[in-house]
Amino acid sequence: MTAPLLAVLVAFQFDSAQAPRPVMALAQSVAINTFVNRVDAWVFKQDWARAGTRAWGKNLRLGWEWDEDAFPTNMFAHPYHGGLYFNAARHNGLGYFESVPVAFFGSWTWEYFGETYRPSLNDWFMTSFGGIALGEMFHRLGATIRDNRARGRGRTLRELAALPIDPMGAFNRLLRGQWSGVGANPVEHDPGAYVLRVGAGARFAEGLISDSGVARIGAVVVDLLYGDQFAQDYTSPFDVFGARLVLSPHGGFQTLRASGRLYGSNINKSTARIRHVLAVNQRYDYFKNPAQSVGGQSVEIGINSRWRFGSQGYGLRTALFFDFVILGAIDAPGTGLGERTYDFGPGAGSRWEIALERHGARFLRIVGQEEYIHTVSGASADHLIAVSGIELTLPLAKGFGISGHAYLFNRDSRYSDAPRARRDYTEGRLLLVWTKAGFK
Amino acid sequence: MVTVALWMIAALWGTAALGQRPARPHRSGLWGEFAFGPGHVRVACAGCTNVVSSNGPTSHFRIGGTVSDHVLIGFEAFSLLDEAFQFSLDVSTSTAETATAAVIILWYPGRRGLFFKGGVGVAAGQYTIPTSPTQADTSTGAGIALTFGTGWDWSISRKFAITAHVAAYVTAVGDIVVPGRRVDDVIATMYQGAIGFTFR
Repeated sequence: MTAPLLAVLVAFQFDSAQAPRPVMALAQSVAINTFVNRVDAWVFKQDWARAGTRAWGKNLRLGWEWDEDAFPTNMFAHPYHGGLYFNAARHNGLGYFESVPVAFFGSWTWEYFGETYRPSLNDWFMTSFGGIALGEMFHRLGATIRDNRARGRGRTLRELAALPIDPMGAFNRLLRGQWSGVGANPVEHDPGAYVLRVGAGARFAEGLISDSGVARIGAVVVDLLYGDQFAQDYTSPFDVFGARLVLSPHGGFQTLRASGRLYGSNINKSTARIRHVLAVNQRYDYFKNPAQSVGGQSVEIGINSRWRFGSQGYGLRTALFFDFVILGAIDAPGTGLGERTYDFGPGAGSRWEIALERHGARFLRIVGQEEYIHTVSGASADHLIAVSGIELTLPLAKGFGISGHAYLFNRDSRYSDAPRARRDYTEGRLLLVWTKAGFK
Repeated sequence: MVTVALWMIAALWGTAALGQRPARPHRSGLWGEFAFGPGHVRVACAGCTNVVSSNGPTSHFRIGGTVSDHVLIGFEAFSLLDEAFQFSLDVSTSTAETATAAVIILWYPGRRGLFFKGGVGVAAGQYTIPTSPTQADTSTGAGIALTFGTGWDWSISRKFAITAHVAAYVTAVGDIVVPGRRVDDVIATMYQGAIGFTFR
C-alpha cells in the first residue's frame, strides 16, 4: 500500500510540469488500481482483493491463465476500466499512441498485483485494447460535451454530463481547476461534421429474454458519427469514428459497437464527385442476443466510397472492410471454461455497407458482416458468425422520423469433440428517431 | 612497440568512425534485422496447478519501414525451439517449437539507439513427442501473440548496426494433445535476449 501511495504523491509533484506528463499518467494508473483494490477490499469485503506480497510472488511465478468471469464483465466492464488508464494518459497531455503503453501498463499491474487470482490473459487483452478504443472515443465525446467557454450552471451541467463517460478527464480537470476556468477548447471539442441519431421504440423477436418466449421489448438506439472521412483529411487517430448503442430492459446493453479511424488516406482527389478513402480502423464490438453473444477487439482495413447525386447533399456510400480479430469472445453453451459459457480466440472477417444518405445522415442502410473465431480458450472449436440487416428511416418533421430495422443473426460452431451447433435469430425494430447533424 | 602503434591506429579509426556517425543513428527507410539468442519459455494451461518452464534458443527476423522520425512499423517472425521440453515429468524427450508472426511498432524516444517495441499477431506451437524409437506424435496449436521489448542499436556504419534486444512474447495456442493427455488452453510466455544484425 505504501509504495503506490508514495508513487502517487511523488507524481503529484510533477503535476505543475508542462504536458505531456508521463510520470503523472503512470502514477494515476497506479492510483486507479490502488483505489479500486481498496474499495473492493474494504467496502465490498472481497477476499480476492486482499493481494499482498505472497499473492504477487505467486502471480509472478505462475504467470497468465484464462479467467471465468461473466461475458459483460470481461467484454464491457474491463474495456471501460481500461479506458480509465488510457484517459489518465490522454488528460496528462499524451497523444493516442503515447497513451497506448499506459493502458497496457495499468492493466498489467492490476492483473499481477491487484488480485489474489492469477493474472488473466483475456483481461489484459480486453482491458488494454478495449480500453484504448473506448477510452479515445470517450475522451473525444467528453471534450465535445464540455465547453471551456461556457459559464455558470450550464458549464457545471456539461462537466457533470461528461463525468460518467470520461471520469479521468473530470478528475484531472477538477485537480487543475478546469471545471470553471474559461479558455479555449481542445481540438477534439469540435468534430467538424457529425450525426447524432437517437431512437426509442421496440424490438420484436421470439425469445428476446432467454427461453421466455417474449416477443416484444422496449429499446433505445443511439447512433453517433463523429467526423466524416469525406469532409476532413486524416489528422489523428479517432478523428473520425462511429458508434452504435442499443439498450433494452433485462440486461441493459444489447449492442455497443465502435469503430475509429487509426489512419486514412485519399485514394483519389478530395474534390472528385466520386470519392474513395482508404482507412485503417480500430474496432470494439459487443452484442448479445439469443443467437450470439459476441464481442472483441479488432483492427480493420478497407475502403469507404461516396457517390454524390445532384446538389441537395444526397449520395450513396459504400464501405468494404477486412478485419483481424485480435481477441474475440463468443458464447458456447455447455463448453467454455469452468463456469464460463463462452470461448476466446482470434479470428478474421469482413463487413460491408451500402447506404443512401443526405449530408452524412443515412436514411437507408444495408449491412453485412461475417467473422471467424478460432478458439484458444474454451471448447476446441471454430465459430462462424454472420449478421445482415436493413434499416430504413423516413423523416417526419423537425429532425424526427420513423425508423424500421430488420436483422438476421446466425452462427455455426464446429466442435472437434461435440456436435455442430447452428442457430439463427431474426429481430425487427420500430423506432421513433430524432436526428441532429452538423456539417462544415 | 608495434602493438602500441596498432592500438593507437585502431583507437584513431574508432574515434574517426564515431565522428562519422550519422546525426540520426536509428533506422530509416527500408530496414531489416536478424537476431539470435537464448530464451526461456513458461507454459501454463487451464486447470494446471503449476507451470512448466524451460530454456531454448530463439531467433527472430524483422523487416519494416519508417512511419515518422521516431516511429517505425514492421513485421516480425520469432521462434523458440526447445529439444528437451517437458510437459510432464515422464515425458522429457519432446521437442517444442513456438513461433509468432506479428506487426510491430518500434519507438525511438530520443536521438540515440534506444528503442521500445510492441506488437500483436498470430502464434503457432508445435510439440513433437517420440512414441517409439522411429515414430513420434506431433500436436500443433495456433492462436494469438502479443510482444513487448526494448533494445539498442549500436551504429557500426550508416547502413549497418548491431542490435541488442530483450523481449517478452505472450502466446495463446489453444489445446495441445500429447500421448495420453490433453493440455487445455495453453499459454506459452517466452522471454528472449538476443544480439542481431541490422541493415538499414
